Amino acid sequence: MNRNSRNIILAILLMAVAPHSSVAQDVLLKGGTVLTVSQGTLQNTDVLIEDGVISSIGRGLRAPRGVETVDVSGKFVMPGIIDAHSHIALSSVNEGSSPVTAEVRMEDVTNPYHLGIYRALAGGVTTSHIMHGSANVIGGQNETIKHRWGATDPDAIRFEGAPRTIKFALGENPTRVHGRRGSGGTGAIVPATRMGVEQVLRDAFENGKRYMEDWDAFNASTDPRAIPPVYNERLEVMADILRGDVLVHCHSYRADEILMLTRVLKDYGVSKITFQHANEAFKVAPELAEYGAMASVFSDWWSYKFEVYYSTAFNAAILTRNGVVTSINSDSGELNRHLYHEAAKSQRYGDLTDDETLALITINPAIQLGIQDRVGSLEVGKDGDVAVFSAHPLSVYAIAEMTYVDGVKYFDRNEDRDDMRMLVSPSANLDTYIEQETGRHDIHEVIIK
Amino acid sequence: MMNALLLVVLALLTAFQQQDERPRQGTYAITNAKIETVANGTIERGTIVIEGDRIVAVGTNVTIPAGAEIIDAAGMEVYPGMIDSGTSLGLSEVGSVAETNDTNEIGDITPHMNALTAVNPNAVAIPVTRTNGITTVIAEPSGGLFPGSAAVINLIGYTPEQMQAGSARLMVLEFPRKQQRRFFFGGGDGERDDPDKRYNDAMAKLDEIWERATVYDRIAAAWDKDPTGKDRPAYVPEMDALRPVLAGDLTLMVKVDAADDIEAAIEWVQKQELSNVVFSGVSEGWRVADKLAEAGIPVFAGPVLATPTRASDRYDRAYDNAAIMHNAGVSVALRSGETENVRNLPFNAGFAAAYGMGREAALEAVTLAPARMLGIDADYGSIEVGKKANLFVSTGDPFETQSQIVTLFIDGFNVPITNRHIELYEEFLNRDAGRKQPVEVLPADN
Amino acid sequence: MYIRTGSRVLALLLATLGLAQAAHAQNDSPDIPSVTGTWALQNVRIVQAPGRVIDSGTVVLRNGVITAVGRRVDIPYDARIMDGGDSLTVVAGFIDALSNVGVPEPARQNNLPAISDRSNPPNDRAGIQPERDVRDMLDPTHDSVDAYRKLGFTAAQVVPHGGMLPGTGAVVLLDASGMRYGDPTVQFMEFEGARGMYPGTPMGIMAKMRQLYRESERRMRIEALYADNPAGLSRPVEDPVHDAFFPVISGDRPLLIHTTDALEVRRAYDMQAALGFSMMLSGLSGGFDVMDAIKTAGTPVALTLAVPEKADWMEKVKDDSLASILENYDPDVRTATFRDTEAERRNLEALQLQSRQKFLAMPAGFATAGIDFAFTSYGVKTKDIAANIQAFMAEGLSSDDALAALTTHAAAFIGVSDVMGSIDTGKMANLTLVTGDLFSKDMKVRTVFVDGRPTHYTP
Repeated sequence: MNRNSRNIILAILLMAVAPHSSVAQDVLLKGGTVLTVSQGTLQNTDVLIEDGVISSIGRGLRAPRGVETVDVSGKFVMPGIIDAHSHIALSSVNEGSSPVTAEVRMEDVTNPYHLGIYRALAGGVTTSHIMHGSANVIGGQNETIKHRWGATDPDAIRFEGAPRTIKFALGENPTRVHGRRGSGGTGAIVPATRMGVEQVLRDAFENGKRYMEDWDAFNASTDPRAIPPVYNERLEVMADILRGDVLVHCHSYRADEILMLTRVLKDYGVSKITFQHANEAFKVAPELAEYGAMASVFSDWWSYKFEVYYSTAFNAAILTRNGVVTSINSDSGELNRHLYHEAAKSQRYGDLTDDETLALITINPAIQLGIQDRVGSLEVGKDGDVAVFSAHPLSVYAIAEMTYVDGVKYFDRNEDRDDMRMLVSPSANLDTYIEQETGRHDIHEVIIK
Repeated sequence: MMNALLLVVLALLTAFQQQDERPRQGTYAITNAKIETVANGTIERGTIVIEGDRIVAVGTNVTIPAGAEIIDAAGMEVYPGMIDSGTSLGLSEVGSVAETNDTNEIGDITPHMNALTAVNPNAVAIPVTRTNGITTVIAEPSGGLFPGSAAVINLIGYTPEQMQAGSARLMVLEFPRKQQRRFFFGGGDGERDDPDKRYNDAMAKLDEIWERATVYDRIAAAWDKDPTGKDRPAYVPEMDALRPVLAGDLTLMVKVDAADDIEAAIEWVQKQELSNVVFSGVSEGWRVADKLAEAGIPVFAGPVLATPTRASDRYDRAYDNAAIMHNAGVSVALRSGETENVRNLPFNAGFAAAYGMGREAALEAVTLAPARMLGIDADYGSIEVGKKANLFVSTGDPFETQSQIVTLFIDGFNVPITNRHIELYEEFLNRDAGRKQPVEVLPADN
Repeated sequence: MYIRTGSRVLALLLATLGLAQAAHAQNDSPDIPSVTGTWALQNVRIVQAPGRVIDSGTVVLRNGVITAVGRRVDIPYDARIMDGGDSLTVVAGFIDALSNVGVPEPARQNNLPAISDRSNPPNDRAGIQPERDVRDMLDPTHDSVDAYRKLGFTAAQVVPHGGMLPGTGAVVLLDASGMRYGDPTVQFMEFEGARGMYPGTPMGIMAKMRQLYRESERRMRIEALYADNPAGLSRPVEDPVHDAFFPVISGDRPLLIHTTDALEVRRAYDMQAALGFSMMLSGLSGGFDVMDAIKTAGTPVALTLAVPEKADWMEKVKDDSLASILENYDPDVRTATFRDTEAERRNLEALQLQSRQKFLAMPAGFATAGIDFAFTSYGVKTKDIAANIQAFMAEGLSSDDALAALTTHAAAFIGVSDVMGSIDTGKMANLTLVTGDLFSKDMKVRTVFVDGRPTHYTP
């Protein structure tokens, strides 16, 4: 090992240690077709981002001193895409050993090194809702992240100020994982049926309510010898849901179970709910609209399980037409690279307008994640999260060319190296072939170590 | 009196409508259409005449037969029905329900299994697929070394035999993989012992099977020629099934993906002197495109909408894989690899077009190219006089999601544009509010 | 009597002639009675601590304590003499900051009763056994004790085998007559999920830790209330798991968290921020990106002695061409077609080599950044330890820093700086005598003194 190489290595080491700069930047995107989503389409319009925030949208803008001007004439500029259901950037997905695991947090397993972040950027996605898996009736708390690729600190990719959310799951997944397990030394536990799922929910909420009451009583007590109630983080989180501090996102398929959850939530005064996947939500669209429930659905996945056998790809269109705030998500490291195309399918399967279609992957998921004040449309004051396409993003021929988060360019099709890995394995075979994720939906393998 | 007349009219209308919801053959003329023939370029504004199951006329100056049903396609486009060269359509109904999956029979060596037998003509996914313009697919068995023969089917028919597109069939060989399976999220097949040993054993097994097949073929041929004085040969249906492959009459479809596996497969088919061969999958085909071109092996490439095979690959590697092979001189058809979402084939083609293949080659890759590779191009793959009437009318480019397919012909049958997804849409778009009041609870002693 | 005197004279003669007695010394057989507890090691190169070297001198130890060190010291009349012949170097006996040496792996239990509710399994099945004491599991006759001693180790901090909370650790001596040294030092924790039951995942483990800790805090308060005045209060429920956390909560016992990548280190810091315990870290494989955080927090760390396996292609390449591979990296290479696969391959090799060297250069990097660290062999095969240290040194770790990681810093890490880790008067006579340059391929361990008792190793 000669001195030269040693110095190189040490230099690399020191580089790695240096803090990630460019957390927010400035840029002027000049002359593109700007798809604001909230205020229509603006031809030949400039977008100025300063200190990571959109400071101006208009014609003939001048770049302040030191701000780079990027010519996007002939190109289309849209808000960074928001994926409301993803499992990228996670070291682990399912704590499937218990039907209720409200206490676990995806915040604890956020993985900023995951190449899925970059690949999503390459499809114009700037924010993902990275979620616990669907093994449990009440799963863990999710995390909303921004795709600040290159950061090594998990905290650096968190979407600051995003509301807390939690994963619920109904139907075949939790009943299979817990109630219909094979043998193998461990017994089956409730739920094995949709009836059981309801009872698990009610139990958890009721216990959470009583826990909250016990602690409220203790905190109000003036007795110096009062014994604090048993500490239970799981019920602490249930109490937070009851207090309205945590948005519920529920993996669900069948119309009946969707309604079941609205009944349970109504009984406990929980109003913020987004149904995820919700393949049969279209059958109860009026009921959902009435409750104010929202839906985050697939573009066209169906038939991979029995509970999605009676689906329709027109789900998003039906829900939208019936007044339900609807988004289209990926739940996949493959689909999230072309969510613009997935959304566009609602123009084949339904007759949504361009703006309605774009809303499915921008402002609507932002609303569902409670971050609509910050992202989801191109408006002055919102974050500089922008995706630039070679053609209208709803065309199958459109190619994502540049993606910005907080005004920082994290993806550039022309400039980026081929190999964008942050971590390179020192030992793996260089020809290691990895099974492709494809359009086919594989049933989530429930990983219980 | 008026009410009775109204009822009669309504009844007649209903009867007529019911009749319309079944596929019908007849004489049709599609007029004023922009026709993408694929074989002979684009006709900006022309007419197609269909009689029975065939196209009988195509052009700008076409005489429309008397009594033909006219379909005015002004402002619309007509394309040959698309062909998906790799699916499990019809062989699996619900992925997680094992009882509905007929792709994978027990045993490593089952070339005698015939996928056509297991195709369910009433699979719900079939109408869902064809309304996006796909009229013909390969339905493949899978699992093991020789899972069976794949069927080539049109997406119409009451029996599997009626669905068959000509007599095309392919023998599937899942080529041994040098590497164990690895998944992006971690996990995979645990390599129990020496990986080289596993691979060498698998290749040795393949060679052994082939050698025995050759022996069996010789015996069977001699018996067929003149059985006098000979003991009857052993009954070995597996080896029987391989005879036409050895003879070069039955196409061998080799499922292979990794670059070094493709190279090994090229070497193997050349060693066995097999020329009626097509490779399927070829997700790393771009790495050895020159070798594939040199060997003259055509490929069914795809799915296009997939993640790269290597962590170090460009993010769009799967999108431009087909294009790189095509540009290197390989004959490329596209496959979706799907079961219930074969309808995404045109979008796979659109991405392939955008990422280097170009629209013309991408369109050919889902029409005439697979037809040629399957040896059914006399009947399928383009809009030409004499070919089967497999075509559709679209409001625009079928690769674009904004386009709607409004008319569909398969084997000359005018297939209604409907499927369960559309039916559910029609029922639930403006659903009846339903009963609002809860049912009165009966007293406990009832 | 004449003969005996003669033997003694002969022995002295041989010693002064400098014939290294060590080369042919016999290990004390148990049936030969000991004659003295005093040793003098003379004509040895003494590395008292990194940076404090006596080129040729003498170390005297008596009954397990170092009584004199210097260029010229008086040798007590009752000393057995070992003459280094100026080919021996003596260093402080190596200390393994975290290990399982002398703790046999428990036998696999095949007939465990099935768990009826895997969402709430018994603590011991889930790997939650913080109440266990590693000192109850020691086996001085275990093969590992001699295997480690042969490498120059004299002491270690050992922990039980198990799951996420296997028990408390303690300092032990690698002494066949008895390993126990002191009281429990740390509560040990690692991100080892329970199989098929709660908690199985890292986020489950984190949540369980928070739950256990906070409930233990509550219990502590209740215990205090009850002890102060039980009137009117229900008797607190006994729970050894919670009891084990009390010293951690009160700050009397740190939590030592073993990590296998940078993200686990981050999780450890997150846990500390949430719960407030005193923390130590071990492992830190691939921890380049958390060096800043460690430096800022001043967390005591023990780096793993593990080194990544070489990729297949690296085995086939000569060392000098590895350097040129690195220099050939071209960031502008784009793989547009099959023609570019050669250039792609070269770049992939360069990147992988770079990655490997990053791992190997990490201890040097910590040293350059001014972060003191110990070494731990936890999870590392004994036969790899020496070669791995050489690999670290090939990537910039100095001999002094390697020595510190095995002696002075290790002693600080396990809290025994006052008695171990350097060759100074008053410290325990834990000494390692070697020939050859320290940590080089030629280094051979000849003799190891543990608590003043030697074991000799023939080459």
